[in-house]
Amino acid sequence: MNTHRLTLPVSEADISAIRAGDIVYLSGDIVVTIGLPTHQRMIDYAEQGKPLPIDIRGGAFLHLSSYNRESNTPSGYEALYMNPTTSTRYDALMPSLIRAYGLRIVGGKGGLGEESVAAMRETGCIYLSFLGGGCTLLARAIQEVVSVHWEDYISQFRLVTLRVKDLGPATVGIDAHGNSLYRQLRDDAKRRLPTILDELNRDRERALR
Amino acid sequence: MPISSEIIRNVTSSLYEWSLKKVPDDTKRLLAQAERRETVQLGKQTLRIMVEAAEAAEAENHLVCSDVGVPTYMIRVGTRVTFSGNVRQAIVDGFADLVARANPPILKMVTNPLTLQRSYEGKNMPLVTFDMIDGADYMEIVCAPKAMGTGRWEAIETFVYPSLETIEKYVLDTVLRAGSQPCPPIVVGVGIGGTFDYAAKMAKECVLRPFGERNPEPVLAAMEERLLKAINATGFGPMGTGGDTTAMAVHIDYSASHGFMPVAVAFNCWINRRTCARIYEDGTVVRVE
Repeated sequence: MNTHRLTLPVSEADISAIRAGDIVYLSGDIVVTIGLPTHQRMIDYAEQGKPLPIDIRGGAFLHLSSYNRESNTPSGYEALYMNPTTSTRYDALMPSLIRAYGLRIVGGKGGLGEESVAAMRETGCIYLSFLGGGCTLLARAIQEVVSVHWEDYISQFRLVTLRVKDLGPATVGIDAHGNSLYRQLRDDAKRRLPTILDELNRDRERALR
Repeated sequence: MPISSEIIRNVTSSLYEWSLKKVPDDTKRLLAQAERRETVQLGKQTLRIMVEAAEAAEAENHLVCSDVGVPTYMIRVGTRVTFSGNVRQAIVDGFADLVARANPPILKMVTNPLTLQRSYEGKNMPLVTFDMIDGADYMEIVCAPKAMGTGRWEAIETFVYPSLETIEKYVLDTVLRAGSQPCPPIVVGVGIGGTFDYAAKMAKECVLRPFGERNPEPVLAAMEERLLKAINATGFGPMGTGGDTTAMAVHIDYSASHGFMPVAVAFNCWINRRTCARIYEDGTVVRVE
């Protein structure tokens, strides 16, 4: 379990050195959104060859929900907090998104499916698991809102770039070498299930005796 | 003196805010105990950060989680209580009051299922159930905001004359399906029997039961213990990245049923949102938790 302090943008070599189960702290500019329609629009833009309002190529794209209030700052917004959401609901869209924009870091919580793991292996990308319910701690890492785009969406669905310092600790759930804690834990649990059920049956018989 | 709409509005608004900013004391204690027992280093660290996150939110009067969920209230009305105004409307007004005054402000989570548009209000919001308490001179209000993290994985299935083994395997399968995703360690509530709707309601009530209280019936108390052990043997661990602590508790209840036998499984995530207050006929408000 190694700890990595990464400053964005990161190189493929930086990412390659990281393994599932490691701990990461991020500094620099991250892009966050939790909107399903936002993901779809990003893919539509890539397919149409239309540039996004921000450059996320090789960047960090995270499923963090954020509350951004209008304020007298250069971006016109201040971020009050952020917090991860379950990434698997974007499973159908993430492989295309990871490949289209050559993402280096994705994240949220709960992991991504095997098609994303394959896409991440191709582009050299890791998945970071942030603490669900970590709203107060994660908010401390926010330095400023760099930009807010696609304001036709509600706050947490917009394409938001945040400048952060030492955002973490985040657990590397999936690395760029095809290792996934989520797959491993699911497989382990399935493998253990017959033993767990045997034990459950024994405990029940003992209790009912 | 009848209970006024104003008191109900204020209490429902406050309960929602407390549930967003404070992890229940028994839950914080249990997480700290689990941290000491956890044998997987990563799981141990995650549990430690959970306790830290809960304490930070409380100290800074901040949100524990940004997903404030949808408002759900379970109301139990004592038969000796009277009201001087509308109750249902007072609860709607209570949530609206929280939305208007919340600091930090809350995100839009209430979703119209037909258009998927999100806002702060919608048909039948807040979701409220009513029950009676014979002889009591108070009304009890439980608030448990519900979000997608766990809500997505709850399940119900109707069996025909199931064995205990079948019921327990179904609970375990439902936990396995959720796996790493519902922000473990979770609380698992199981409702056995009754009817479709009643089983779901029992499961939800079980989730909200304080820690340390076992079902008074020995058969179910033993089932709660062995299922907790079984779930913690799956290895998903804190935040689903590995460890011995996948569930904090399993709470089970049952109702007599027919030969068809619904089994409902409900979850709460590690922050275990639940608050409760009583409003007495004389206007006194007591915060239970």
